Amino acid sequence: MSIIDDVVRVRDEAVERISKADSLDSLQELRVRYLGRKGEITGFLKGLKELTNDERKQVGAVANRARSEIESLLQQIQEKLSASKQASVFDPTLPGSRSRLGVAHITNQALQEICDIFYGMGFETAYGPDIETDYYNFEALNFPPDHPARDMQDTLFVEGGRLLRTHTTPVQARELEKRRPPFKIITPGKVFRNEAISARAHVAFHQVDGFAVDEHATLADLKGVLVAFCRAYFGPEVKLKFRPSFFPFTEPSAEVDVSCFLCGGSGCQLCKYAGWLEILGCGMIDPNVLAKAGFDTERYTGYAFGLGVERIALMKHRIDDIRLFYNNDIRFLRQFG
Amino acid sequence: MKISYNWLRELVGVDWPVDELAERLTLCGTACEEIESMAGHLDKVVVGRVVKLSPVTGADKIQLATVEVGTERMDLICGAPNVAEGQTVAVALIGAKLAGGMEIRKVKIRGVISCGMICSERELGLSDDHSGIMVLETEARPGTPLATALDLEDYRLTFELTPNRPDSMCAIGIARDIAALANTAVRYPQTALREVTARASDEVSVAIEDPDACPRYAARVIRGVMGGQSPWWMQRRLIISGIRPISSIVDITNYVMLETGHPLHAFDLERFGSREVVVRRARPGETFTTLDEKEHELTPDVLLITNGKAGVAAGGVMGGLNSEVSGSTTDILLEAAYFNPSVIRKSKRHLGLATESSSRFERGADPNGGLERAIDRAAALMAELCSGQVLQGVVDCYPKKIMPVTIPLRPERCNRILGTKISDERMQQILTGLEFTVSNGRGPLQVTVPTFRPDIEREIDLIEEVVRIEGFAAVPDAVYNLGPLYTPRHPSDLFQQEVRQVLIGAGFDEILTHGLADIRDALVFYPDQTPVRLANYSSGDLNIMRTSLLPTTAGVVAHNVAHRNLDLCLFELGNVYYPVDHEDDPTGGQRLRLALVVTGQSEHTWRDRPRPLDFYDISGALEHVCERLRLGRLSFVDSPREFFQPEVSFEIRAGGDPIGVTGQLSDKVLRHFGIKQPVYAAELDADKVMSLRRPLAEYSPLPVYPSAPRDLAIVVDAGIRAGDLIEAIKLAAGDLAEHVEVFDLYTGEQIKQGCKSIAVSIRYRSPERSLASGEVDERQAHVVTMLKQKFNAEIRDK
Repeated sequence: MSIIDDVVRVRDEAVERISKADSLDSLQELRVRYLGRKGEITGFLKGLKELTNDERKQVGAVANRARSEIESLLQQIQEKLSASKQASVFDPTLPGSRSRLGVAHITNQALQEICDIFYGMGFETAYGPDIETDYYNFEALNFPPDHPARDMQDTLFVEGGRLLRTHTTPVQARELEKRRPPFKIITPGKVFRNEAISARAHVAFHQVDGFAVDEHATLADLKGVLVAFCRAYFGPEVKLKFRPSFFPFTEPSAEVDVSCFLCGGSGCQLCKYAGWLEILGCGMIDPNVLAKAGFDTERYTGYAFGLGVERIALMKHRIDDIRLFYNNDIRFLRQFG
Repeated sequence: MKISYNWLRELVGVDWPVDELAERLTLCGTACEEIESMAGHLDKVVVGRVVKLSPVTGADKIQLATVEVGTERMDLICGAPNVAEGQTVAVALIGAKLAGGMEIRKVKIRGVISCGMICSERELGLSDDHSGIMVLETEARPGTPLATALDLEDYRLTFELTPNRPDSMCAIGIARDIAALANTAVRYPQTALREVTARASDEVSVAIEDPDACPRYAARVIRGVMGGQSPWWMQRRLIISGIRPISSIVDITNYVMLETGHPLHAFDLERFGSREVVVRRARPGETFTTLDEKEHELTPDVLLITNGKAGVAAGGVMGGLNSEVSGSTTDILLEAAYFNPSVIRKSKRHLGLATESSSRFERGADPNGGLERAIDRAAALMAELCSGQVLQGVVDCYPKKIMPVTIPLRPERCNRILGTKISDERMQQILTGLEFTVSNGRGPLQVTVPTFRPDIEREIDLIEEVVRIEGFAAVPDAVYNLGPLYTPRHPSDLFQQEVRQVLIGAGFDEILTHGLADIRDALVFYPDQTPVRLANYSSGDLNIMRTSLLPTTAGVVAHNVAHRNLDLCLFELGNVYYPVDHEDDPTGGQRLRLALVVTGQSEHTWRDRPRPLDFYDISGALEHVCERLRLGRLSFVDSPREFFQPEVSFEIRAGGDPIGVTGQLSDKVLRHFGIKQPVYAAELDADKVMSLRRPLAEYSPLPVYPSAPRDLAIVVDAGIRAGDLIEAIKLAAGDLAEHVEVFDLYTGEQIKQGCKSIAVSIRYRSPERSLASGEVDERQAHVVTMLKQKFNAEIRDK
C-alpha cells in the first residue's frame, strides 16, 4: 500500500539524516522536521483518522513504530553529540571544507588573456604544424634564400629536412592559401629556436601572431587594432611608440614599445629606466607574401603583428628566469593560482 | 655600430641635443640603443706628466710615480708595465669615478701614500684595453682636464641596425637620415686631391675573371707614404666606434669605411708580388693565410684577390698576411671594390670570419658614388696625413655596371596603404631629402633610387621610406576597416578550455613542456618507436621530438619530487610528433594529447586525513572529463604495457572507443627517472576525445511516479570486478532499473577470507506508472538468482 511505502521512505530518510547529523542544532532541526507538531511522521499519525479501520490499523502500526525508532535514534545521537560537544565548538575561523583547486600554467593564462582580447575584436584562431617545411617558415614569407635566420645557428632542423617553426607566421602563409578575404586571424602557438637553455633564452616559447586581409586594410587599421589591444591588456593609460623596423614578411614594418606598465614611463628597473618596453613587431603584409598565396596585390592589402607570450609574462610578473616556465615546479606554478 | 655624436653633427648642421637626435633617429628606423657620454668617467681626470719613477721597497710589481699635474706634483702608485718617465698620461685624482665603477681614494700601499691613479683606456671608458696605461700624444699642459685635452666632450651612439639597411652602417648614412628628418642636406667631406703626373695605370693593372662575383674593382697607387700614428682626431673617432687605432694607413682605411660605409683595403705594393691584380674564384684545395695568421684551405666559394699567381686577399673579408702594410711600407695599392653580397656571405661562412668589411659587403655596399667617394677620400687623407703622392687616375675595372633603378610611386596608393593624407609635395620632399631623384609630370612620381639603397626595389619600399621619415606617429590609429565582426571560436580552443577547467576544478595543476625530448627517456616507455629526430641541436640532451607526453611528464614529476614537492596532481595538453611520409601530410605529423599524473598523498586538512593518491584519483579525474565532455561510458580494459605495472595497466575506452592508456608506472620507469614513490598516469588522444564529444542532450520529462530503491550487499570472490557485477545487474534488472551504483565496499572480519562485500543500490522506476512492491521484488529476486548463478555470490542480510 502506498501510504505505508511513503511512511517507510520518510523513516529511511530520517534515519539516514539523523545518523549523519553533526551538531546538536541540526539534530534539533531534524527532530522538528519529523516529529514536531507539523513533522512528517506526526503528519501520518494525524492523518490516520481519515483512513478506514483496516488501513488505520496497518498504517498506524508502521507509523508508530517509525516514530519510536526515530525517537530512540535521536536520543542516541544526541548523547553522542553532547559527549563530543566540548571538542567541536563551532569555529568559523577554521579553514572551510573544500578540495584544492589546480592552477592553469602561467603561459597558458597569459596566452588565453591575449587571445580573448583579439576574439573580442572579431579575430579567429588558426593552427598549423609545429614541424614546418622550409617553404612555409621562410620562402612563402619572403625570406631570401641566404637570410641569416635560415642558418643552422638559429633554426632547429629535424632529420629529413623539415624544421621546427621559428615563428607562428607560417600559419599565416598556410591560411592565406586557403581563405578568401576579408579575414582576421590570430595564430597562437609554440615556436622553437636553436638556443642553449639559460635564464634568458630557451629552445621554445609561445607566440601570438595575427593578420588581416581586406580590400582596404591600412597601416592605420593596424595601429588601431594594436592600440586597442594594448589598452585592453596593459590598461587604458598605456602609450604606444612605433619604431620602423625590418621583417622579411612585412613592409613597412615596425616594432612597438608600450609605456612601462610598472612606472608609467617615468623609468624603473623593469624598463631599464627607458620608460618603454618592447613588446610587438608588426607591419603591412609584404606584397610578395600575398602574391605567393595568389592574391591580387593591387586589390588586397593586409596587416600582421606578432608578440612573445613568455616575454610579456616575464615582464608582467617580474619573472627573472625563463627556465621556470618549463621546469614546471609546482611552487612556481601555484604562485599564479 | 657605434658612431660619435659630434661627427654626425659635423656632417649635418643640426643642433639637436643628443637625446633628441637619438630618439628621432630611432623613430625613423635607425635605432639608437645606447648613448654613452665619453666624458662621463673623466670628471677629476687630468693630464699629467710622469716626472720620476722610484721603486717601492718590498714590491717589485709596482712603482712610486711622481706626477706633475698643473702647478703641483703628487705621488702615486702605478703597477703598469709600460709606465716611463717623461710620459704624458691620464691621472685620476681623488674623487674620480672611473668606468667600471672604481672610485679613487687616498690609499696607503706598502707604507706609501698614493693620491691618485694613472689610467688605462678601459678605466677611462675609451676601449677594452687594460694591458697598460694610456700614453697621451697631447700638447695640453699637465693639469688640463682630460676631456678637454682629448676633445672627448662627445657621446658614443650605439645603433642597432636592421639587415636591410647597409647604407646606414656609416656616419654619412646616418647623417642622411638626420638630413631627411631635418629637411637639410649632408655636408660631404672634401675628397678633392692633388695627383702627381705619374699614372696609376702605368703601375698596375686589374682584371676580373668573375664579374658576377666582383662587378667592380678600382685601385689607386699612393707612393712614398710615411708610417706612424694617425692624428688624435681620427684615433678618437675610431676609438668611439670601437676600432683600435693601429697605424696611419690602416686607420685611414678604417676611418673612411666608418665615414662612407665602403670597406677599403691597403696592400703594401712592394710585397704585392706583381703589378697585376687578378680577381678570381679560389681553386679547390688552394691555401691562403689571412692577416690574422690563420691558414685556410679554400674552395671556389671564396673570391680571391690575387697577384696573378697567389692570393693576396680574401675579397671583401680579410687581407692576406703576405701583402699586409707595416711600419716600413712606403707604397700603397689601395683597393675599393664592390662584391656580390651572396658571394661574400658564402665566402665568410667558409672562412669562418666575420669582419667589419664582410658585414658591409654581405648586406650590399654602393658600387658607384660610395665606392668612388671612399677611394678618393682615403687617397686624399694618405696624401694629407702621410705625405703620400697619389698617382694619377683610378685603375677602374667595372665590367658589370650597376645602374640606379627608377620606380613609380603613386601618392594615392601610398595614402591608401598607410591610411594617411600625406601630400604629393611632402612625399617628394621626403624622397629628395633621402637623396632620391624625383621627377613628377602627369601620373605617378618617378623615383630614381641611388645605388647605396639596394633595399629599395618596389613601390612599397618607397612607401616605407615615406612613413619612416614622416613618422609612424603621423599615421592615425583608427580602425576604418573592421573586417569580420564575428568569427566562430576554434573547436580545439573550446575543447582545451573545457578540459582545463574541469581538471583545474578537480585539483590538477597544469604543466607545460616544450616538446623536445631525450631519446633515452622516450625509449624507457616505447623501446621500438622511431621518433622524429633533431638534426642540429647541440646544446643539451634534447635529440628527438616527443612521441608521448608520458616521458616528459615523468621528468616533471622527477623534478618536483627531487625538490620535495611530493604530492602532485598534474596534467598537460600538448602535441606529440611522428614521422610523415610526405612534407604535405595534412596532419603535419602531430597530434594533441592529454596526460594526467598523480603521486604522493591527498591533502591533509583538519577534517580529512591524507591518504595515498592512487589509480582511483586518475580514474575519477577521467570520469570528470568524460562527464563534462559528454563522452560515452568510461571503461578500463586490461592491456599490459611495459611502462605500467602489469596488474595496473589499462586501455581507456569511452563508449567502447579506445581513447588512451592508464596505469601505475613500472619500477623500471621509476628507477630511470629516480622516483621513489608510486606514480599513476594516463595519456589520452585528445584529438580523438574531441571527436567523440557529444552535444548537450535533449530534454527528458521529469519523473512523475515514485521510485523504488533496493539495496543489495553482495559477497563475491575478491577477484570479481564491480564493473562486471553492475553490468550483469543492469541486464538482469531490465529497463525498470533506472540507476545502479556501488555505494560500499567491505572486506574484513565479517566476510570470509578471499571474498569481498560490494553494496549496490538499484533504483527501480517506471515512467508510466507506480511500481507495485511485488513487481519490484520479483525483479530483485531475478537479480539475486543471477548473481548467485553467475558470480557464485552470497547476499548478505542488511
